[in-house]
Amino acid sequence: MTDDYLWDKSGPPDPEVERLEEVLGVLGQRKPLEIPPELRRQPVKLWLWATLFAAASAALIAAVWLPRRSRGPECIVLRVEGQPTISSRSLGERARLREGEWLETDARSRARISIGHVATVEVEPNTSLELVRVHPSEDRISLKRGKMHATISAPPRLFFVDTPSAVTIDLGCAYTVEVDGEGNTRVEVNHGMVSIVLDGRESFIPQGAVCVARKGVGPGTPYSVDAPPALVSALGEFDTSSSTTALHTILSQARPKDALTLWHLIARTTGTDRVSVVQKLTSLVPLPEGVTSAEVLQGNSVTLRAWLETICPQAGRHHD
Amino acid sequence: MSAEMYLVDSCVTVFSSNPMSVKAESVHSSLVTAARDGDRAAFGKLYEHHAKMVHAILLARVPRHEVDDLTQDVFLRALRGLKSLRDPEAFGPWVATIARKRAADFHRNHKETVELVEEPAAENFALPEALSVLRVIQSLPETYQETLLMRLVEGMTGPEISAVTGITPESVRVNLCRGMKMLREQLQKEVP
Repeated sequence: MTDDYLWDKSGPPDPEVERLEEVLGVLGQRKPLEIPPELRRQPVKLWLWATLFAAASAALIAAVWLPRRSRGPECIVLRVEGQPTISSRSLGERARLREGEWLETDARSRARISIGHVATVEVEPNTSLELVRVHPSEDRISLKRGKMHATISAPPRLFFVDTPSAVTIDLGCAYTVEVDGEGNTRVEVNHGMVSIVLDGRESFIPQGAVCVARKGVGPGTPYSVDAPPALVSALGEFDTSSSTTALHTILSQARPKDALTLWHLIARTTGTDRVSVVQKLTSLVPLPEGVTSAEVLQGNSVTLRAWLETICPQAGRHHD
Repeated sequence: MSAEMYLVDSCVTVFSSNPMSVKAESVHSSLVTAARDGDRAAFGKLYEHHAKMVHAILLARVPRHEVDDLTQDVFLRALRGLKSLRDPEAFGPWVATIARKRAADFHRNHKETVELVEEPAAENFALPEALSVLRVIQSLPETYQETLLMRLVEGMTGPEISAVTGITPESVRVNLCRGMKMLREQLQKEVP
C-alpha cells in the first residue's frame, strides 16, 4: 500500500490510518478565538494619550457649543426626477437621509444618494430602500424592492446592501442591485467585484457577471452577462433543485468564458456530478501547477483558491 | 488614497478555514497587515488558518486538558506581539515558535509532575483510547509528534501541514511516513 492516503488523503484509504483518524479526532481543535475586550481595540501608545486628551477636550467643547453632528459621513439625497420621498415626506431638491429613514421613488421619480466621498447610489423608479447605518466602519442600505446602481470608492467590505434574499458586499466596484416583488435579488457588476452571501453561502461576481439570489434559497451561481440563454436557464433550475439534468445542460453549454460559473459549481456538487464539473472546467482552464484534480475533488479550499486565481485573479484575492 | 485607487486596488484578502498553499502566502501577508492595523476580523481569519497547527504543537507537549486554554493564550500573545513580526509571510512558523515557547513556559511554571488528567468517559466513550494513543505519539521522536498530530488529530493533509508550518512538503512527507511506521510498531507492542 502506498502512503498517498497518509500524505493527502488521496488513493485508497489506509485502514489503520483511518482508524487512528477516527480515534484521535475527538482530541481535535474546535474552540473559537475569544479576544478579551482590552485587545478588541488597537492599543494606544502612551505618547498619544496627551493628543487624545486634547482632542477629547476639544470635542467636549464642540459638543457643548456646536450643533450635534452625525457620527458618520453625511448622506445626502438629490432629486433627479419626479418627487421622491423620505419617510413619506417630499424631499424637495435636496435633503439629508438619516439612519432608519426610508427613501422611496414612484414610477416617475428617481434620486441620487451620496454618502460622503464613499458611495454614490442611483435610485431607479419604484424603489424602496432604508438607510440602515452610516459609519466610518460600515455603510449599509436595505433594499426592500426596486433597483439601485452603486459606485463605491471605499476599501472593500465597507458598503453593504441587505436584500430579502442575500447581502451584497462591495469589494471595490460599481454594480446594480435589483429586488423584485418576490424578494429575489439580481446583482450585475459593471466594474470591480461584489460578493453576495447568505448563511455561509457566498458567490463572487466580477465585472461583466450577474448573480441571482432567490428568497429562501440564497445566492445563486454567478454567470457572464452574455452567457447562453440555455445555460442561464439551466443554472436557475440547478440553483433551486440541484438537478443533474440541469447540470448536464450547464456543462454542455459552458464556454471558456463561463469558467467562473463552473468553479462555483464545484463546491455545490458532490460525487459524480462534481467529477463532471471538474472535468469540464479542466478542459476549459487547465489546473494551475501544483494542483491536482484529486485535491479539487476533495474540495480542498487551498487548491480551489489557487484555481480561482487562475480563472479570475480578482475573485481569487477575495476568496474566503 | 484617491477614489480610483480604491476601485482598482481591492485590498482585503480573505481565505477559508483551511491552511494555505505556498502559492497563496500573499493572502496571509494581507491578513497580517490588516490585523496589525487593528482589524480583528483579519486576525480571526489567521486564527482559523493556524489554530489546528498550534493545537497540535501543544497537544504534543502539555497535558491535554491545558491545550485549549494554551491555544487561546498563544494567539493572544501573537496578537499583542504582531508588530514585532518582520515578515508577514512567516506568520505560521512564528506562531508555531510562540506555541513551543509557551509549552516550555508551562512546564517551567508547573515543576511538579503533571499527569494527564483523564476526563470522564461518560461523555465520550472514545476518549480513553484516544488518550492512550496520544501517549504513544508523545513518546515518539519530537520530529514526528507534531506532524502526526496535525495529520491524525487535526485532520490536516500533508500539503496543508507544509503550507502552514513552512516545512517543505518533502520533509513533511518523510516525517509522516517514518512517524507512522514508528507509531504502528509501538501500538503493536501495546496490544496484549
